[in-house]
Amino acid sequence: MDEIILEVRAVCMQFGGLHAVENVSFVQRRGEILGLIGPNGAGKTTLFNVISGVYRPTSGSVLFKGRDTTGFPPHRMAELGLGRTFQIVRPFPDLTVIENVMVPLHLARYRNILASFTSWNTKTIRSEALRLLEETGIADLAELRAGLLPLGNQRKLELARALALQPALLLLDETFSGLRHEEIDIIANLVRKVREKGISILLIEHNMKVAMGLSDRVVVLDHGRLLAEGDPESVRRNPAVIEAYLGKGSMSYAS
Amino acid sequence: MNMFIEQLLNGVAVGAIYALITLGLALVYGVLRILHVAHAAIYTAGAYVGLFVYRATGSIPLATLAAMAVCGVLGILIERAVYSPLLKYPPYVPLISSIAMFLGFQELFRLLAGPYIIAFNARLPLSDAFIGHVRISAPILIIYVTSTLVLIALWLLLYRTEIGLAIRATSQDRAIASTMGMDARSLISLTFFIGSAVAAIAGILVGMHYNQVYPTMGTVPAYKSLALIVVGGLGSLPGAVFASLLLGVLETLLIGYANVPLPRDSLAFIAMIAVLLWRPQGLFGRKGGR
Repeated sequence: MDEIILEVRAVCMQFGGLHAVENVSFVQRRGEILGLIGPNGAGKTTLFNVISGVYRPTSGSVLFKGRDTTGFPPHRMAELGLGRTFQIVRPFPDLTVIENVMVPLHLARYRNILASFTSWNTKTIRSEALRLLEETGIADLAELRAGLLPLGNQRKLELARALALQPALLLLDETFSGLRHEEIDIIANLVRKVREKGISILLIEHNMKVAMGLSDRVVVLDHGRLLAEGDPESVRRNPAVIEAYLGKGSMSYAS
Repeated sequence: MNMFIEQLLNGVAVGAIYALITLGLALVYGVLRILHVAHAAIYTAGAYVGLFVYRATGSIPLATLAAMAVCGVLGILIERAVYSPLLKYPPYVPLISSIAMFLGFQELFRLLAGPYIIAFNARLPLSDAFIGHVRISAPILIIYVTSTLVLIALWLLLYRTEIGLAIRATSQDRAIASTMGMDARSLISLTFFIGSAVAAIAGILVGMHYNQVYPTMGTVPAYKSLALIVVGGLGSLPGAVFASLLLGVLETLLIGYANVPLPRDSLAFIAMIAVLLWRPQGLFGRKGGR
Protein backbone atom coordinates (compact mmCIF):
# COMPACT_ATOMS: atom_id res chain seq x y z
CA MET A 1 0.00 0.00 0.00
CA ASP A 2 3.02 2.22 0.27
CA GLU A 3 2.77 3.68 -3.20
CA ILE A 4 -0.69 5.08 -2.54
CA ILE A 5 -0.52 8.44 -0.81
CA LEU A 6 -4.18 9.39 -0.83
CA GLU A 7 -7.35 7.43 -1.16
CA VAL A 8 -10.79 9.00 -1.27
CA ARG A 9 -13.45 6.37 -0.63
CA ALA A 10 -17.07 6.99 -1.52
CA VAL A 11 -17.01 10.49 -0.06
CA CYS A 12 -20.32 12.36 0.17
CA MET A 13 -20.61 15.89 1.44
CA GLN A 14 -24.01 17.50 1.94
CA PHE A 15 -24.83 21.00 3.07
CA GLY A 16 -28.46 20.93 4.05
CA GLY A 17 -30.18 19.59 0.95
CA LEU A 18 -27.26 20.36 -1.34
CA HIS A 19 -25.11 17.43 -2.44
CA ALA A 20 -21.80 19.17 -3.03
CA VAL A 21 -19.88 15.93 -3.41
CA GLU A 22 -21.58 12.63 -4.13
CA ASN A 23 -19.95 9.27 -3.78
CA VAL A 24 -16.55 10.22 -5.14
CA SER A 25 -13.70 7.71 -5.00
CA PHE A 26 -10.19 7.88 -6.42
CA VAL A 27 -6.64 7.10 -5.46
CA GLN A 28 -3.44 9.04 -5.89
CA ARG A 29 -0.09 7.32 -6.14
CA ARG A 30 2.98 8.59 -4.36
CA GLY A 31 4.94 11.05 -6.49
CA GLU A 32 2.06 11.61 -8.86
CA ILE A 33 0.66 14.93 -10.04
CA LEU A 34 -3.08 14.40 -10.10
CA GLY A 35 -5.28 17.04 -11.67
CA LEU A 36 -8.76 17.61 -10.27
CA ILE A 37 -10.83 19.40 -12.86
CA GLY A 38 -14.44 20.20 -13.56
CA PRO A 39 -16.77 23.12 -14.23
CA ASN A 40 -17.52 25.71 -11.57
CA GLY A 41 -19.57 24.26 -8.75
CA ALA A 42 -18.40 20.73 -9.45
CA GLY A 43 -17.34 20.26 -5.84
CA LYS A 44 -13.58 20.47 -6.28
CA THR A 45 -12.84 22.88 -3.46
CA THR A 46 -15.34 21.10 -1.23
CA LEU A 47 -13.43 17.90 -1.83
CA PHE A 48 -10.18 19.70 -0.95
CA ASN A 49 -11.76 20.85 2.28
CA VAL A 50 -12.82 17.30 3.09
CA ILE A 51 -9.33 15.95 2.39
CA SER A 52 -7.58 18.66 4.40
CA GLY A 53 -9.91 18.33 7.37
CA VAL A 54 -11.91 21.55 7.14
CA TYR A 55 -15.10 19.51 6.66
CA ARG A 56 -15.95 16.10 7.98
CA PRO A 57 -17.61 14.21 5.11
CA THR A 58 -21.27 13.25 5.50
CA SER A 59 -20.22 9.72 4.62
CA GLY A 60 -17.24 7.97 3.12
CA SER A 61 -13.66 8.14 4.22
CA VAL A 62 -10.28 9.65 3.42
CA LEU A 63 -7.08 7.64 3.74
CA PHE A 64 -3.84 9.56 3.84
CA LYS A 65 -0.59 7.58 3.84
CA GLY A 66 -2.64 4.44 4.35
CA ARG A 67 -4.25 5.77 7.50
CA ASP A 68 -7.91 6.66 7.96
CA THR A 69 -7.86 10.40 8.56
CA THR A 70 -11.56 11.10 8.06
CA GLY A 71 -12.58 14.05 10.19
CA PHE A 72 -9.08 14.89 11.45
CA PRO A 73 -8.84 18.65 12.11
CA PRO A 74 -6.68 20.69 9.70
CA HIS A 75 -3.77 21.09 12.10
CA ARG A 76 -3.53 17.31 12.52
CA MET A 77 -3.50 16.86 8.75
CA ALA A 78 -0.73 19.43 8.52
CA GLU A 79 1.27 17.49 11.11
CA LEU A 80 0.79 14.31 9.10
CA GLY A 81 2.28 15.98 6.05
CA LEU A 82 -0.50 17.64 4.10
CA GLY A 83 0.19 21.11 2.76
CA ARG A 84 -2.28 23.25 0.87
CA THR A 85 -2.70 26.57 -0.86
CA PHE A 86 -5.95 28.44 -1.31
CA GLN A 87 -7.92 29.62 -4.28
CA ILE A 88 -7.91 33.14 -2.89
CA VAL A 89 -4.39 33.84 -1.68
CA ARG A 90 -4.24 34.40 2.02
CA PRO A 91 -0.82 35.27 3.39
CA PHE A 92 -0.70 36.60 6.94
CA PRO A 93 -0.86 40.22 5.75
CA ASP A 94 0.83 41.86 8.73
CA LEU A 95 3.78 39.49 8.86
CA THR A 96 6.75 39.88 6.55
CA VAL A 97 7.30 37.44 3.71
CA ILE A 98 9.95 35.51 5.60
CA GLU A 99 7.89 35.47 8.80
CA ASN A 100 5.03 33.96 6.83
CA VAL A 101 7.27 31.04 5.95
CA MET A 102 8.64 30.81 9.48
CA VAL A 103 5.16 30.20 10.89
CA PRO A 104 4.77 26.67 9.49
CA LEU A 105 8.47 25.91 10.05
CA HIS A 106 7.70 25.76 13.74
CA LEU A 107 5.10 23.10 13.21
CA ALA A 108 6.98 20.30 14.90
CA ARG A 109 7.20 22.33 18.06
CA TYR A 110 3.70 23.74 18.41
CA ARG A 111 2.71 20.54 20.12
CA ASN A 112 5.34 20.96 22.76
CA ILE A 113 4.12 23.56 25.23
CA LEU A 114 7.51 24.30 26.74
CA ALA A 115 9.29 24.69 23.42
CA SER A 116 6.52 27.07 22.41
CA PHE A 117 7.73 29.62 24.91
CA THR A 118 11.16 29.85 23.36
CA SER A 119 12.20 32.30 20.69
CA TRP A 120 10.94 31.83 17.16
CA ASN A 121 13.41 34.09 15.44
CA THR A 122 16.38 31.73 15.43
CA LYS A 123 19.17 31.59 12.87
CA THR A 124 18.39 28.05 11.75
CA ILE A 125 14.71 28.73 11.21
CA ARG A 126 15.50 31.97 9.39
CA SER A 127 17.99 30.39 7.04
CA GLU A 128 15.63 27.51 6.39
CA ALA A 129 12.89 30.00 5.52
CA LEU A 130 15.27 31.90 3.28
CA ARG A 131 16.18 28.68 1.48
CA LEU A 132 12.50 28.07 0.73
CA LEU A 133 12.09 31.63 -0.52
CA GLU A 134 15.10 31.14 -2.80
CA GLU A 135 13.58 27.95 -4.09
CA THR A 136 10.39 29.77 -5.00
CA GLY A 137 12.25 32.80 -6.30
CA ILE A 138 11.12 35.50 -3.89
CA ALA A 139 14.11 35.67 -1.54
CA ASP A 140 14.72 39.31 -2.42
CA LEU A 141 11.29 40.20 -1.02
CA ALA A 142 11.90 38.52 2.34
CA GLU A 143 11.54 41.60 4.53
CA LEU A 144 8.50 43.06 2.79
CA ARG A 145 5.07 42.93 4.42
CA ALA A 146 3.30 40.02 2.77
CA GLY A 147 0.09 41.98 2.16
CA LEU A 148 1.96 44.26 -0.24
CA LEU A 149 3.06 41.58 -2.72
CA PRO A 150 1.42 41.36 -6.14
CA LEU A 151 -0.62 38.25 -6.86
CA GLY A 152 2.05 36.19 -8.61
CA ASN A 153 4.49 36.60 -5.76
CA GLN A 154 1.80 35.92 -3.20
CA ARG A 155 1.16 32.62 -4.95
CA LYS A 156 4.85 31.80 -4.74
CA LEU A 157 4.76 32.72 -1.07
CA GLU A 158 1.83 30.39 -0.51
CA LEU A 159 3.80 27.65 -2.18
CA ALA A 160 6.85 28.33 -0.03
CA ARG A 161 4.67 28.33 3.05
CA ALA A 162 3.06 25.02 2.17
CA LEU A 163 6.47 23.50 1.39
CA ALA A 164 7.71 24.59 4.81
CA LEU A 165 5.46 21.92 6.28
CA GLN A 166 7.64 19.36 4.51
CA PRO A 167 4.50 17.82 3.11
CA ALA A 168 4.16 14.40 1.55
CA LEU A 169 1.15 15.68 -0.38
CA LEU A 170 0.52 19.19 -1.59
CA LEU A 171 -2.98 20.41 -2.47
CA LEU A 172 -2.92 23.35 -4.88
CA ASP A 173 -6.21 25.16 -5.32
CA GLU A 174 -6.10 27.17 -8.56
CA THR A 175 -2.56 28.30 -8.05
CA PHE A 176 -2.40 29.56 -11.63
CA SER A 177 -5.58 31.57 -11.92
CA GLY A 178 -5.25 35.26 -12.66
CA LEU A 179 -1.58 35.04 -13.60
CA ARG A 180 0.26 36.13 -16.74
CA HIS A 181 1.75 33.54 -19.10
CA GLU A 182 5.33 34.04 -17.94
CA GLU A 183 4.30 33.65 -14.32
CA ILE A 184 2.29 30.52 -15.12
CA ASP A 185 5.39 28.98 -16.70
CA ILE A 186 7.56 29.88 -13.72
CA ILE A 187 5.13 28.40 -11.21
CA ALA A 188 4.51 25.33 -13.38
CA ASN A 189 8.25 24.70 -13.35
CA LEU A 190 8.26 25.16 -9.61
CA VAL A 191 5.54 22.56 -9.27
CA ARG A 192 7.53 20.11 -11.37
CA LYS A 193 10.60 20.70 -9.23
CA VAL A 194 8.55 20.05 -6.10
CA ARG A 195 7.41 16.74 -7.55
CA GLU A 196 11.00 15.78 -8.34
CA LYS A 197 11.64 15.96 -4.61
CA GLY A 198 9.10 13.17 -4.19
CA ILE A 199 6.18 15.31 -3.06
CA SER A 200 2.84 14.23 -4.51
CA ILE A 201 0.62 16.99 -5.84
CA LEU A 202 -3.13 17.20 -6.14
CA LEU A 203 -4.17 20.28 -8.06
CA ILE A 204 -7.39 22.02 -8.94
CA GLU A 205 -6.97 23.97 -12.14
CA HIS A 206 -9.26 25.85 -14.47
CA ASN A 207 -6.67 26.54 -17.12
CA MET A 208 -6.95 23.32 -19.15
CA LYS A 209 -3.65 23.77 -20.90
CA VAL A 210 -1.84 24.02 -17.59
CA ALA A 211 -3.81 21.22 -15.95
CA MET A 212 -3.32 18.82 -18.84
CA GLY A 213 0.32 19.78 -19.26
CA LEU A 214 1.24 19.22 -15.63
CA SER A 215 -0.86 16.28 -14.57
CA ASP A 216 0.09 12.63 -14.87
CA ARG A 217 -3.53 11.71 -14.46
CA VAL A 218 -6.76 13.67 -14.27
CA VAL A 219 -9.95 13.21 -12.27
CA VAL A 220 -13.00 15.03 -13.61
CA LEU A 221 -15.87 16.05 -11.36
CA ASP A 222 -19.23 17.33 -12.49
CA HIS A 223 -22.07 18.31 -10.18
CA GLY A 224 -20.31 16.59 -7.31
CA ARG A 225 -19.96 13.28 -9.14
CA LEU A 226 -16.94 11.60 -10.61
CA LEU A 227 -17.30 11.92 -14.37
CA ALA A 228 -14.06 10.53 -15.72
CA GLU A 229 -10.60 9.51 -14.65
CA GLY A 230 -7.48 8.73 -16.60
CA ASP A 231 -4.44 10.17 -18.37
CA PRO A 232 -4.86 13.67 -19.81
CA GLU A 233 -5.06 12.43 -23.39
CA SER A 234 -7.92 10.00 -22.84
CA VAL A 235 -9.81 12.47 -20.66
CA ARG A 236 -9.38 15.14 -23.28
CA ARG A 237 -11.05 12.86 -25.83
CA ASN A 238 -13.78 11.65 -23.51
CA PRO A 239 -17.10 12.83 -25.02
CA ALA A 240 -18.84 12.97 -21.63
CA VAL A 241 -16.15 15.31 -20.36
CA ILE A 242 -16.33 17.55 -23.38
CA GLU A 243 -20.07 17.78 -23.11
CA ALA A 244 -20.16 18.46 -19.38
CA TYR A 245 -17.35 20.87 -19.48
CA LEU A 246 -17.90 23.05 -22.48
CA GLY A 247 -21.09 21.95 -24.13
CA LYS A 248 -21.38 19.81 -27.23
CA GLY A 249 -19.16 20.49 -30.16
CA SER A 250 -16.57 22.56 -28.38
CA MET A 251 -13.06 21.21 -28.56
CA SER A 252 -11.24 24.51 -28.38
CA TYR A 253 -9.98 23.90 -24.85
CA ALA A 254 -7.66 21.24 -26.22
CA SER A 255 -5.70 23.72 -28.27
CA MET B 1 4.32 73.06 37.85
CA ASN B 2 4.66 70.28 40.40
CA MET B 3 0.90 69.94 40.36
CA PHE B 4 1.04 69.54 36.61
CA ILE B 5 3.70 66.85 36.77
CA GLU B 6 1.85 65.00 39.50
CA GLN B 7 -1.31 65.08 37.41
CA LEU B 8 0.62 63.91 34.38
CA LEU B 9 2.05 60.98 36.32
CA ASN B 10 -1.44 60.19 37.60
CA GLY B 11 -2.72 60.26 34.06
CA VAL B 12 -0.08 57.81 32.87
CA ALA B 13 -1.03 55.48 35.73
CA VAL B 14 -4.71 55.66 34.82
CA GLY B 15 -3.78 55.06 31.19
CA ALA B 16 -1.64 52.06 32.14
CA ILE B 17 -4.64 50.49 33.88
CA TYR B 18 -6.81 51.12 30.83
CA ALA B 19 -4.11 49.50 28.74
CA LEU B 20 -4.11 46.33 30.84
CA ILE B 21 -7.88 45.97 30.47
CA THR B 22 -8.03 46.96 26.82
CA LEU B 23 -5.20 44.62 25.79
CA GLY B 24 -7.22 41.59 26.83
CA LEU B 25 -10.15 42.85 24.81
CA ALA B 26 -7.93 43.49 21.77
CA LEU B 27 -6.39 40.01 22.05
CA VAL B 28 -9.80 38.36 22.19
CA TYR B 29 -11.10 40.48 19.34
CA GLY B 30 -8.06 39.44 17.36
CA VAL B 31 -8.60 35.69 17.59
CA LEU B 32 -12.41 35.51 17.67
CA ARG B 33 -13.66 38.84 16.21
CA ILE B 34 -15.97 39.14 19.19
CA LEU B 35 -16.54 42.26 21.28
CA HIS B 36 -16.02 40.65 24.66
CA VAL B 37 -18.00 42.97 26.94
CA ALA B 38 -17.92 40.42 29.77
CA HIS B 39 -14.17 41.04 29.93
CA ALA B 40 -14.92 43.83 32.41
CA ALA B 41 -16.76 41.33 34.62
CA ILE B 42 -13.60 39.23 34.67
CA TYR B 43 -11.71 42.34 35.75
CA THR B 44 -14.17 42.82 38.61
CA ALA B 45 -13.88 39.15 39.54
CA GLY B 46 -10.12 39.64 39.66
CA ALA B 47 -10.50 42.51 42.11
CA TYR B 48 -12.77 40.42 44.38
CA VAL B 49 -10.62 37.30 44.30
CA GLY B 50 -7.54 39.42 44.95
CA LEU B 51 -9.26 41.18 47.84
CA PHE B 52 -10.43 38.00 49.56
CA VAL B 53 -7.18 36.12 49.09
CA TYR B 54 -5.28 39.14 50.38
CA ARG B 55 -7.48 39.26 53.48
CA ALA B 56 -6.98 35.56 54.07
CA THR B 57 -3.23 35.46 53.50
CA GLY B 58 -1.98 39.05 53.77
CA SER B 59 0.15 38.54 50.70
CA ILE B 60 -0.30 40.73 47.62
CA PRO B 61 1.72 38.49 45.28
CA LEU B 62 -0.28 35.45 46.38
CA ALA B 63 -3.55 37.37 45.93
CA THR B 64 -2.47 38.44 42.45
CA LEU B 65 -1.49 34.93 41.38
CA ALA B 66 -4.75 33.50 42.72
CA ALA B 67 -6.80 36.16 40.92
CA MET B 68 -4.91 35.57 37.68
CA ALA B 69 -5.48 31.83 37.87
CA VAL B 70 -9.19 32.11 38.74
CA CYS B 71 -9.85 34.74 36.09
CA GLY B 72 -7.82 32.90 33.46
CA VAL B 73 -9.90 29.77 33.99
CA LEU B 74 -13.09 31.86 34.03
CA GLY B 75 -12.07 33.34 30.68
CA ILE B 76 -11.55 29.89 29.16
CA LEU B 77 -14.92 28.74 30.52
CA ILE B 78 -16.70 31.71 28.96
CA GLU B 79 -14.97 31.04 25.63
CA ARG B 80 -15.72 27.32 25.62
CA ALA B 81 -19.24 27.41 27.04
CA VAL B 82 -20.62 30.56 25.46
CA TYR B 83 -18.60 31.99 22.57
CA SER B 84 -17.51 28.81 20.79
CA PRO B 85 -21.05 27.49 20.29
CA LEU B 86 -22.23 30.94 19.12
CA LEU B 87 -19.47 31.62 16.59
CA LYS B 88 -21.54 30.26 13.72
CA TYR B 89 -24.10 33.04 14.21
CA PRO B 90 -23.75 36.69 13.13
CA PRO B 91 -21.47 38.73 15.41
CA TYR B 92 -24.30 40.46 17.25
CA VAL B 93 -25.37 37.15 18.78
CA PRO B 94 -22.16 36.60 20.78
CA LEU B 95 -22.17 40.34 21.51
CA ILE B 96 -25.63 40.20 23.08
CA SER B 97 -24.70 37.10 25.05
CA SER B 98 -21.57 38.89 26.21
CA ILE B 99 -23.57 41.86 27.50
CA ALA B 100 -25.96 39.46 29.22
CA MET B 101 -23.08 37.68 30.87
CA PHE B 102 -21.62 40.98 32.00
CA LEU B 103 -24.89 41.98 33.70
CA GLY B 104 -25.31 38.48 35.13
CA PHE B 105 -21.85 38.55 36.64
CA GLN B 106 -22.51 41.93 38.26
CA GLU B 107 -25.60 40.49 39.95
CA LEU B 108 -23.61 37.46 40.99
CA PHE B 109 -20.97 39.68 42.62
CA ARG B 110 -23.76 41.57 44.40
CA LEU B 111 -25.20 38.32 45.75
CA LEU B 112 -21.87 36.84 46.78
CA ALA B 113 -20.03 39.85 48.16
CA GLY B 114 -22.85 42.25 49.01
CA PRO B 115 -24.04 45.41 47.25
CA TYR B 116 -21.61 47.73 49.02
CA ILE B 117 -18.13 49.07 48.51
CA ILE B 118 -15.45 47.04 50.24
CA ALA B 119 -12.17 48.74 51.12
CA PHE B 120 -9.05 46.99 49.93
CA ASN B 121 -6.76 48.44 52.63
CA ALA B 122 -3.63 46.92 51.22
CA ARG B 123 -0.43 47.50 53.12
CA LEU B 124 2.04 48.04 50.36
CA PRO B 125 5.69 47.10 50.53
CA LEU B 126 6.55 50.58 49.26
CA SER B 127 6.31 54.09 50.58
CA ASP B 128 5.62 57.27 48.63
CA ALA B 129 8.53 58.33 46.47
CA PHE B 130 9.74 61.87 45.92
CA ILE B 131 11.51 63.18 42.86
CA GLY B 132 12.41 66.72 43.80
CA HIS B 133 9.15 68.09 45.13
CA VAL B 134 7.01 65.78 43.06
CA ARG B 135 5.34 63.10 45.12
CA ILE B 136 4.52 59.74 43.61
CA SER B 137 2.20 57.81 45.91
CA ALA B 138 2.91 54.17 46.64
CA PRO B 139 -0.15 52.78 44.82
CA ILE B 140 0.81 54.72 41.71
CA LEU B 141 4.34 53.44 41.98
CA ILE B 142 2.95 49.91 42.16
CA ILE B 143 0.83 50.58 39.09
CA TYR B 144 3.88 51.78 37.19
CA VAL B 145 6.05 48.84 38.14
CA THR B 146 3.37 46.21 37.61
CA SER B 147 1.99 47.49 34.35
CA THR B 148 5.46 48.00 32.89
CA LEU B 149 6.38 44.44 33.81
CA VAL B 150 3.13 43.05 32.41
CA LEU B 151 3.45 45.01 29.17
CA ILE B 152 7.04 43.87 28.68
CA ALA B 153 6.11 40.28 29.46
CA LEU B 154 3.20 40.38 27.00
CA TRP B 155 5.36 41.96 24.34
CA LEU B 156 8.04 39.28 24.78
CA LEU B 157 5.43 36.55 24.73
CA LEU B 158 3.62 37.81 21.64
CA TYR B 159 6.51 39.05 19.53
CA ARG B 160 9.43 36.91 20.59
CA THR B 161 8.15 33.41 21.29
CA GLU B 162 6.74 30.74 19.03
CA ILE B 163 3.47 30.66 20.88
CA GLY B 164 3.18 34.40 20.31
CA LEU B 165 3.82 33.98 16.61
CA ALA B 166 1.14 31.30 16.60
CA ILE B 167 -1.33 33.59 18.38
CA ARG B 168 -0.61 36.44 15.97
CA ALA B 169 -0.93 34.14 12.97
CA THR B 170 -4.19 32.74 14.32
CA SER B 171 -5.57 36.22 14.87
CA GLN B 172 -4.72 37.23 11.30
CA ASP B 173 -6.26 34.17 9.68
CA ARG B 174 -7.56 31.31 11.74
CA ALA B 175 -8.23 28.94 8.82
CA ILE B 176 -4.77 29.35 7.36
CA ALA B 177 -3.10 29.06 10.73
CA SER B 178 -4.72 25.69 11.24
CA THR B 179 -3.59 24.43 7.86
CA MET B 180 -0.12 25.49 9.00
CA GLY B 181 -0.40 23.02 11.83
CA MET B 182 -1.63 25.27 14.61
CA ASP B 183 -4.34 24.06 16.92
CA ALA B 184 -6.59 27.12 16.76
CA ARG B 185 -8.86 25.95 19.59
CA SER B 186 -6.07 25.65 22.12
CA LEU B 187 -4.56 28.94 20.99
CA ILE B 188 -7.91 30.70 21.42
CA SER B 189 -8.25 29.29 24.92
CA LEU B 190 -4.72 30.36 25.72
CA THR B 191 -5.49 33.85 24.47
CA PHE B 192 -8.53 34.05 26.73
CA PHE B 193 -6.44 32.86 29.64
CA ILE B 194 -3.77 35.49 29.07
CA GLY B 195 -6.22 38.35 28.48
CA SER B 196 -8.28 37.43 31.54
CA ALA B 197 -5.26 37.02 33.80
CA VAL B 198 -4.06 40.48 32.78
CA ALA B 199 -7.54 41.90 33.47
CA ALA B 200 -7.33 40.38 36.97
CA ILE B 201 -4.11 42.30 37.58
CA ALA B 202 -5.83 45.48 36.45
CA GLY B 203 -8.74 44.76 38.84
CA ILE B 204 -6.42 44.40 41.80
CA LEU B 205 -4.45 47.53 40.90
CA VAL B 206 -7.63 49.59 40.65
CA GLY B 207 -8.95 48.09 43.89
CA MET B 208 -5.77 49.10 45.70
CA HIS B 209 -5.41 52.49 44.03
CA TYR B 210 -8.94 53.71 44.79
CA ASN B 211 -9.16 51.47 47.85
CA GLN B 212 -12.55 50.16 46.85
CA VAL B 213 -14.02 47.05 45.29
CA TYR B 214 -17.72 46.91 44.37
CA PRO B 215 -19.99 44.88 42.10
CA THR B 216 -20.42 47.50 39.37
CA MET B 217 -16.80 48.65 39.22
CA GLY B 218 -16.60 47.07 35.75
CA THR B 219 -19.29 49.21 34.17
CA VAL B 220 -17.20 52.20 33.16
CA PRO B 221 -14.18 50.09 32.07
CA ALA B 222 -16.56 47.90 30.04
CA TYR B 223 -17.65 50.60 27.67
CA LYS B 224 -14.51 52.65 27.90
CA SER B 225 -12.32 49.76 26.81
CA LEU B 226 -14.66 49.11 23.89
CA ALA B 227 -14.22 52.73 22.83
CA LEU B 228 -10.47 52.33 23.25
CA ILE B 229 -10.05 49.31 20.98
CA VAL B 230 -11.99 51.21 18.33
CA VAL B 231 -9.74 54.24 18.75
CA GLY B 232 -6.59 52.09 18.69
CA GLY B 233 -7.75 50.08 15.69
CA LEU B 234 -9.75 46.90 16.27
CA GLY B 235 -7.44 44.06 17.21
CA SER B 236 -4.28 46.20 17.14
CA LEU B 237 -2.30 45.63 20.34
CA PRO B 238 0.07 48.61 20.03
CA GLY B 239 -2.97 50.71 19.14
CA ALA B 240 -4.81 49.55 22.26
CA VAL B 241 -1.87 50.46 24.51
CA PHE B 242 -1.28 53.81 22.85
CA ALA B 243 -4.95 54.82 22.90
CA SER B 244 -5.23 53.80 26.57
CA LEU B 245 -2.21 55.81 27.71
CA LEU B 246 -3.33 58.80 25.67
CA LEU B 247 -6.81 58.70 27.14
CA GLY B 248 -5.52 58.36 30.70
CA VAL B 249 -3.30 61.40 30.30
CA LEU B 250 -5.92 63.48 28.48
CA GLU B 251 -8.63 62.69 31.01
CA THR B 252 -6.43 63.65 33.91
CA LEU B 253 -4.93 66.77 32.36
CA LEU B 254 -7.96 68.20 30.57
CA ILE B 255 -10.54 67.49 33.20
CA GLY B 256 -8.52 67.11 36.39
CA TYR B 257 -5.97 69.84 35.73
CA ALA B 258 -7.33 72.25 33.14
CA ASN B 259 -10.88 71.93 34.48
CA VAL B 260 -12.51 71.53 31.10
CA PRO B 261 -16.23 71.38 31.94
CA LEU B 262 -16.94 67.92 30.57
CA PRO B 263 -17.75 64.70 32.37
CA ARG B 264 -14.53 62.73 32.67
CA ASP B 265 -15.91 59.58 31.12
CA SER B 266 -17.14 61.38 28.02
CA LEU B 267 -13.67 61.86 26.55
CA ALA B 268 -13.32 58.22 25.47
CA PHE B 269 -16.49 58.54 23.43
CA ILE B 270 -15.62 61.88 21.94
CA ALA B 271 -12.36 60.25 20.83
CA MET B 272 -14.23 57.25 19.47
CA ILE B 273 -16.64 59.38 17.47
CA ALA B 274 -13.79 61.49 16.13
CA VAL B 275 -11.88 58.38 15.09
CA LEU B 276 -14.92 56.85 13.43
CA LEU B 277 -15.47 60.06 11.49
CA TRP B 278 -11.93 60.72 10.32
CA ARG B 279 -9.99 57.49 10.60
CA PRO B 280 -12.44 54.61 10.87
CA GLN B 281 -9.72 51.96 10.83
CA GLY B 282 -8.40 53.38 14.12
CA LEU B 283 -5.10 55.06 14.95
CA PHE B 284 -3.02 51.92 14.34
CA GLY B 285 -5.40 50.04 12.07
CA ARG B 286 -4.80 49.31 8.43
CA LYS B 287 -7.16 50.61 5.80
CA GLY B 288 -9.39 47.82 4.59
CA GLY B 289 -7.91 45.56 7.23
CA ARG B 290 -9.98 42.88 8.82
